[in-house]
Amino acid sequence: MEEIVFGIGITALAGALATIAGAAEDTESDIGSQGDPNSQVQLAPQMGYIHRIFNKAIAGEPPAYGLWVALGAGLAWAFMAMQMNPILAIVLGSALAVFVQGVYATTAYLGRTASLAKFEQPVYIDILKSMTTVTMAHAFIAIFATVAMCHLIISALGHPFPLPLLGLVWGIALGAAGSATGNPFYGKERQYQEQKFGAGVPISASGNIVRYAEAGERNSLDNGFFSAKLGGPASGICFGLIVFFELWRTVVFEPLAAGWGAIIIGVIVILIFAVIDRYIEVWARNTFGPYAVPEVPEVPEEASS
Amino acid sequence: MAVKIEVGAGGVPHNQILIYGLVGSLILIYLTYLNSATNTEYFAFFGGLASVAALVWGADTIKHLCSYGLGTGVPSAGMIALGSGVIAALFGAMTGIFAPIVAIIVAAIIGAVSGLLANHVVRMDIPVMIISLTELAVVGAITVLGLIAMVGGTFDFQNLFGGGSVSLGLVIGSGVIALIFMLAAIAIQHAFNACLGPDEKQDRTLMLAAECGFLSMIPIAVISFAFIAFIPALISLVISIVGWLYTYMRYIELSKRDAYAWLDAKPILEPKGGA
Repeated sequence: MEEIVFGIGITALAGALATIAGAAEDTESDIGSQGDPNSQVQLAPQMGYIHRIFNKAIAGEPPAYGLWVALGAGLAWAFMAMQMNPILAIVLGSALAVFVQGVYATTAYLGRTASLAKFEQPVYIDILKSMTTVTMAHAFIAIFATVAMCHLIISALGHPFPLPLLGLVWGIALGAAGSATGNPFYGKERQYQEQKFGAGVPISASGNIVRYAEAGERNSLDNGFFSAKLGGPASGICFGLIVFFELWRTVVFEPLAAGWGAIIIGVIVILIFAVIDRYIEVWARNTFGPYAVPEVPEVPEEASS
Repeated sequence: MAVKIEVGAGGVPHNQILIYGLVGSLILIYLTYLNSATNTEYFAFFGGLASVAALVWGADTIKHLCSYGLGTGVPSAGMIALGSGVIAALFGAMTGIFAPIVAIIVAAIIGAVSGLLANHVVRMDIPVMIISLTELAVVGAITVLGLIAMVGGTFDFQNLFGGGSVSLGLVIGSGVIALIFMLAAIAIQHAFNACLGPDEKQDRTLMLAAECGFLSMIPIAVISFAFIAFIPALISLVISIVGWLYTYMRYIELSKRDAYAWLDAKPILEPKGGA
């Protein structure tokens, strides 16, 4: 019994770390316009819309985060093998992984932008100077939290995988959670605030992303503020729930039916979430409705005399 | 991504890069055998250099393959290259002195089969698919062998069973092989994925490929401190950092050369034709 209580405590802690990681991950990727928003940021100059938005395309988010977290975990494993304290090892490993992430971000922006010279898109070097460090800071939080979570899973829950491999698996899951949950807030909505709500993106509006802000020109730090408010927490909840339910079903139900208990509970959890998702989708569609042309109230003609 | 992929014309012909990449990386891989010949670990860094040579060739292959309009296929090409390559590399590692050559042959077979499947079963019908996937699998195998040699000093599987060095067993058992897989898979696709566009230039793309290779060597060199002696690992680290700094600086210069304008804290310049 005590073992199960301990296991649930670790599960809750891992879920909390995962929530922080998810929130930081989505904010990081949105500042760099990685994943979902990227195609429009890349397309905009080709349609004549020159912008000052960070375009940091490093594969998709799942492979990229698979690498960053596996890198943090692999380096942390190596430092621990050199008899270093685990906390220090994870911090140093994550810091080195973030260095690699930052270098990849700068080369991606320079490469993509220089290859758009034909469309008169200049390289704004101040974007690199001001935004790379911000994405690196968010990436550090995401990597550190995920590697710490993996270390907890191994050392406290006795997971059989080595740390770098577990880091790869959970890194891909982290990137997928952020890519699927958080990015549409920015990629589907915020880039298209000039379009009517719910109107979709007709081909004529392709690349017509929001380039000017409340004051001055929009840059990716504005998108960071936005993502920290909506997309980030949504991704955090998503990844936190994934980690929590994954560990919870294993810790509590693994003794049942020689391990099959955990698998059956996993299937039941997926079914419950499918029902919840469907309900929310139908409710949102009925409440907010498809986009319709608003009825223009008749303006009584004023008699001119 | 819905963007049309275009590549710049001109530059060194692909076949020439293929030959330089294949021969160069094979020679560099064989130079890591100096470790077992001299019974030291000072030559581990040759493995990393072999992977850099292979990555430059691989980046050009991806450019060649993805010029057929494979947008989101650019990162996938890196994944399939390393997925095929890691199997071939581990198989080859069991064959002693012939390891690199066996790995290349096995990789070529795996690549050709996946190319045939892609073209005739999935019906992608891309003319260069089979040859490109073959090349990519070979590049993946060489890169994995090179980075294993760099982190552990050797990739000889037989040491594992012969009771000698257990470094390859440790590289696999510790999961560092998963990290090598990801590092190389992102590095191989990043060069073209980052530089695609109508004004893509071959020298800039290949310089970025070399930069990615040296950048991947840095964490591998750091991890190698856990596997091999201090001085050889330090040599690897210094060579990686010097190589990375040089290629990074060169890449920034080439980007400056190709960019429409290089501005610092300037407003949006609306195009002359108007948006």
